[in-house]
Amino acid sequence: MNLEALVELLGDKVKTDAVTLTAYSTDATPEYKAMPDAVVMAESTADVVKLINFANEHKVPVITRGAGSNLAAATIAISGGIILVMTKLDKILEVSKSEMLAVVEPAVTNVNLDDEAAKYGLMYPPDPGSKTVSTIGGNIATCAGGLRGLKYGVTRNYVLGLEVVLGTGEVINTGSRMVKDVAGYDITRLMVGSEGTLGVITKAIVALRPRPTISKYGVAYFNTLADASVAVDNIVGAGILPATLEFLDQVCIIAVEKFAKIGLDTSAGALLLFGEDGDSDDVEVKTQQMADICAATSGVISVTRAKNVVEADQLLFARRCALPALAREASLAVSEDVCVPRPRLAETVAKISEISKNRDVKIGVFGHAGDGNLHPKVLADINDPAEVARLHAALDDIFTLALDMGGTITGEHGVGIAKLPYLERKVGKAQMELFRRIKTAFDPNGILNPGKTGS
Amino acid sequence: MKQDLPFTPKLLDRCISCGYCLPACPTYALTQEEESSPRGRINLMRAVQIGELSLDQTLEQSSFCLGCRACESVCPAGVEYGTLLEEWRSAAWQGKNRSLILHLLLFAVNKAWRVRFLGLFNLRNYKKSEPAQYSLMLGCFERGLFPGVSAAAATNADVSVCSSQGCCGALHAHNGELDRGKEMAAELGEKLPGKILTTSGGCAAHLASVLGKDRVIEYSQSLAARIEQLQPVLINGKRARVALQDSCHLRHGLQIFNEPRAVLAQLADYVELPGASDCCGAAGTYAILRSKDSNQVFDKKAKEIAKLDLDYIVSVNPGCTRQLKTQLRKRRIKTKVIHIAEFVALSNKL
Repeated sequence: MNLEALVELLGDKVKTDAVTLTAYSTDATPEYKAMPDAVVMAESTADVVKLINFANEHKVPVITRGAGSNLAAATIAISGGIILVMTKLDKILEVSKSEMLAVVEPAVTNVNLDDEAAKYGLMYPPDPGSKTVSTIGGNIATCAGGLRGLKYGVTRNYVLGLEVVLGTGEVINTGSRMVKDVAGYDITRLMVGSEGTLGVITKAIVALRPRPTISKYGVAYFNTLADASVAVDNIVGAGILPATLEFLDQVCIIAVEKFAKIGLDTSAGALLLFGEDGDSDDVEVKTQQMADICAATSGVISVTRAKNVVEADQLLFARRCALPALAREASLAVSEDVCVPRPRLAETVAKISEISKNRDVKIGVFGHAGDGNLHPKVLADINDPAEVARLHAALDDIFTLALDMGGTITGEHGVGIAKLPYLERKVGKAQMELFRRIKTAFDPNGILNPGKTGS
Repeated sequence: MKQDLPFTPKLLDRCISCGYCLPACPTYALTQEEESSPRGRINLMRAVQIGELSLDQTLEQSSFCLGCRACESVCPAGVEYGTLLEEWRSAAWQGKNRSLILHLLLFAVNKAWRVRFLGLFNLRNYKKSEPAQYSLMLGCFERGLFPGVSAAAATNADVSVCSSQGCCGALHAHNGELDRGKEMAAELGEKLPGKILTTSGGCAAHLASVLGKDRVIEYSQSLAARIEQLQPVLINGKRARVALQDSCHLRHGLQIFNEPRAVLAQLADYVELPGASDCCGAAGTYAILRSKDSNQVFDKKAKEIAKLDLDYIVSVNPGCTRQLKTQLRKRRIKTKVIHIAEFVALSNKL
């Protein structure tokens, strides 16, 4: 690659020193590292267009990156090339109260957007565990979910329109500010979850919702995660669609308590966090109903209601920390993201615990129980090759299990490099071919994030 | 075991690169560049550890980091970033990589007699060294720059004062001389009997890391038992309006931040500074070695302080006092800066 020409084009936005390249050689996925040839800090859509044109001319990969909190190695420069960093594009351009939407640059974080929306009595519902750091652009590229998925849906339900730089260098505006717009193919929806393989998102119009004024939470402890799963199925089966239904197994409870120190019952086999939000007495009714259903489920140890907002926030905070907190338990911790139909949740978690026994590796399981979305985190000593091999065997078992259950290999983290080998088993050969044809239409030279979905 | 490696492997292994530290990092806020974030810097340390990068290549980032440890408080994985930074600087800041001014600063406090010399210019009489509940730590540069602090602490608490004490070694530990820094803390621990009372957040955290938390008590902690006896500080008959600037290491290293607030709430009309827990840019020697960056870090804080219309901004660490005084004066902001011990001394005598 002609780096000098790149510097001539984009000046000091281009970095090629070893320190910068090293800093951008990883994301949040364990075991993946690859050195890019250059890093470009974009400051405008025009910068992105220039870079894409350059990349087409020189046939070099471009890997778009936001906060780098990806968990599927989707932002690793596996075949070298240029890491396109969007973090300087972090402005909220507009919040329209009457249209209930916001127009944002891609590197605005979930928390910043939601805080700004709150000033207008609104909220941005998608709520990934990493919301303090994750960016809206990254959320869209992976169709991030989070803790409110069951009631509010996920990122795809909130993207109205996008400004995208295609792999050809053309800038398109998809969708619009309206709720209704069926003029042509739904390119917006196609961009959601495309993991930087079809285009670079440079601006987004996202829908906001009225901010609930009341929220109530409670916590139930169970003997096993399977017992908690039965409670989850009973709750939704009773016609309740709550804002929060999250669970943790004992491995996670112990790890989280070490960091958060909020007095979780570390002797219990599982914890279920339930909660509802809204604007009426119905919130209280539903929350109590959930508490009652938990109390009537077999294997229940105790059920308590959070006394106040502080206590509820602590519980939610604890849940959000589960993923990184598990790093305390082992030097290698690989988090997965399978999703199964809710009625099969109890069976799935029981089988994961069998996998843990059979493969002789520790697995901590937490997840968005209401969505059937599980994050089994497999732990190993990074300096013990035999154990690391067992870890990978266990991960393989978990993917197979999810597919056998009629589920999927990833609910919200994305495919990236890490799950590409399993993708065809999920979607079939014909769809894989279709992916490739779509990819070619958007990015004829294959410069955008090669080695990932659609390659 | 570390052996000849620059970093303790177990400490480096802990980070899973989740990025939860990014929003807490003041230098990442300035640049939005990964290499100036805690996660990015740990990536650099790892590259040094396996020989992919040289220590010299990472020198700039090891020095651009404030060492505030705000990343530790938000790290669910429990990465001991502060210790890693000390190891980094101990490996990298040697020979030509150490500036003359840093040589001088470390030299000045390396021996107890030189530290005593720093305090010679003020001839205050501290209470004599009779057995008491606590041994007062006099600090090194604090003794010369802000002698009133120890004097106030000595009158406000049940302390004995040993005037031949040296420096706690925090300056060394944070600036590339970790082993000597630990040695100095141990020497001070032998010199001062019982529980050591300190008026400096940075020293408290360093001492506790070597001597154990049980040996160290921070000034506001020492007031906890008699907090209700403190009388309000009045200005023109009204309770003084004050805010606190946290000491980074006190907050992120020792989790002490409620205690000084409780003292101030008793004494004054306390308002929370929005970024009270954000580093003020003093960061030990940082304000001297990297004054431009230090200024930039302070920009946001200056606006926040000016907006609150305070009588006093209260500090719990001498470095912060110096930074606040210098920066506010430079920006013509009238808010007075005072150390918490001196503020307590403004209250009724106990």
